[in-house]
Amino acid sequence: MTERDPLIERVRGTLCDERRVAPEPQAVARLLQTVWASPRPAFWRRALDAWRIPALSGLAASAIAAAALLIGFVSRGAVTPSAASEPTVASGSATGEFPVRLAADEAAERLVPTQFVFESAAATTVSVVGEFNDWAVGELPMTRVRDGVWTTTVPLPAGRHVYAFVVDGTLLVADPRAPKSGDADYGREGSVVMVFAR
Amino acid sequence: MNNRRVSVWLAALVLTSAVAAPVALQAQQETPVIGIADARTREAVSRELDRAASRGLPVRALVAKAQEGVTKQAAGERIRAAVTSLARRLEQARDLLAPSPSDAEMIAGADALAVGVPAPMLRQIRAAYPEGQSVAMPLDVLTELVARGVPASNALQQITQLMRRGATPTHIAGLGASVQSDVAAGLTPDAALEVRARGVMSLLPSPAAAAALAPRGGRP
Repeated sequence: MTERDPLIERVRGTLCDERRVAPEPQAVARLLQTVWASPRPAFWRRALDAWRIPALSGLAASAIAAAALLIGFVSRGAVTPSAASEPTVASGSATGEFPVRLAADEAAERLVPTQFVFESAAATTVSVVGEFNDWAVGELPMTRVRDGVWTTTVPLPAGRHVYAFVVDGTLLVADPRAPKSGDADYGREGSVVMVFAR
Repeated sequence: MNNRRVSVWLAALVLTSAVAAPVALQAQQETPVIGIADARTREAVSRELDRAASRGLPVRALVAKAQEGVTKQAAGERIRAAVTSLARRLEQARDLLAPSPSDAEMIAGADALAVGVPAPMLRQIRAAYPEGQSVAMPLDVLTELVARGVPASNALQQITQLMRRGATPTHIAGLGASVQSDVAAGLTPDAALEVRARGVMSLLPSPAAAAALAPRGGRP
């Protein structure tokens, strides 16, 4: 049993015994007069008040924001729900000449790791360019794995791709191991790699 | 400003940003960055890209074509001509592969036209598969065979025959890969295609077997 605090008991007794006191009529009249005399709020203020919504808790605001972001991104295609679940099971093979094969079924959108190999003992840098990277020099640098042998592996969608190697930042070279692409537009032929997903 | 009002304004701001962010992101993704030094060529190519976008053509392929010219240090006029020419081929491919070709199909069709595949053949390839099934891979293989010297009519006949017998794009891709290997090993493209098409055909059920296996209605 808990011991009762005498102070709390005294406050409780006072509150229970207190009679209800009616407000003074003059005071009420004065208050109402002041309210009626005050200027009417501007139109924009009344319109704003009409749309006023209750304050949100931090959790509710976060939930609404997250939902709006998700809806916005998904509906505009910036986030594709299935994009994260693309399996890529493959092993690379030599460049161009033979395609890399996958264990996956036919799916042109799947990216197939495709290995490129180039031989040049004199080169200081080599990169691969093609339609798949908008021919951007230096974006896909190749690594020297042993004397004069350069390689990189690029995930590519199934299909036919035209590419070339860029040696030392400027010299464009076709892959000697792969079929040539021909180039009616610019007169500098590249190579072709056919990428197949299985 | 009281706390309640701050919360309301904050919520409104977050909601507006949430809706505006994807739009800004999309606009950023759609704005191609082309490193053409010559301002006149850059403007001309940009106009061509706008025109292509308004016609529903795959702009990305045109951007790649322009960038290819930059990397190959081509003259501005040549870049412009190459982009215009590709846009024309893409539009032609779109019409030939109607009613609703994908970007990949339009690009594959344009590549086929570029290596000399006659335009009506694109229609024949499209007709060999049911509507909705992509013909991008058969077009890519046709392009590659023609580029290696196989007569277009011969390549088309072999590929469409396989397609009509139920060969999937994977089968067609396998055909292309095998022919490529054979050619690299020294076989003529024509001979390689004939031999390998026979091999793929042997994997497919015969028309009679396919009919026998097909479900029959009306019987319990």
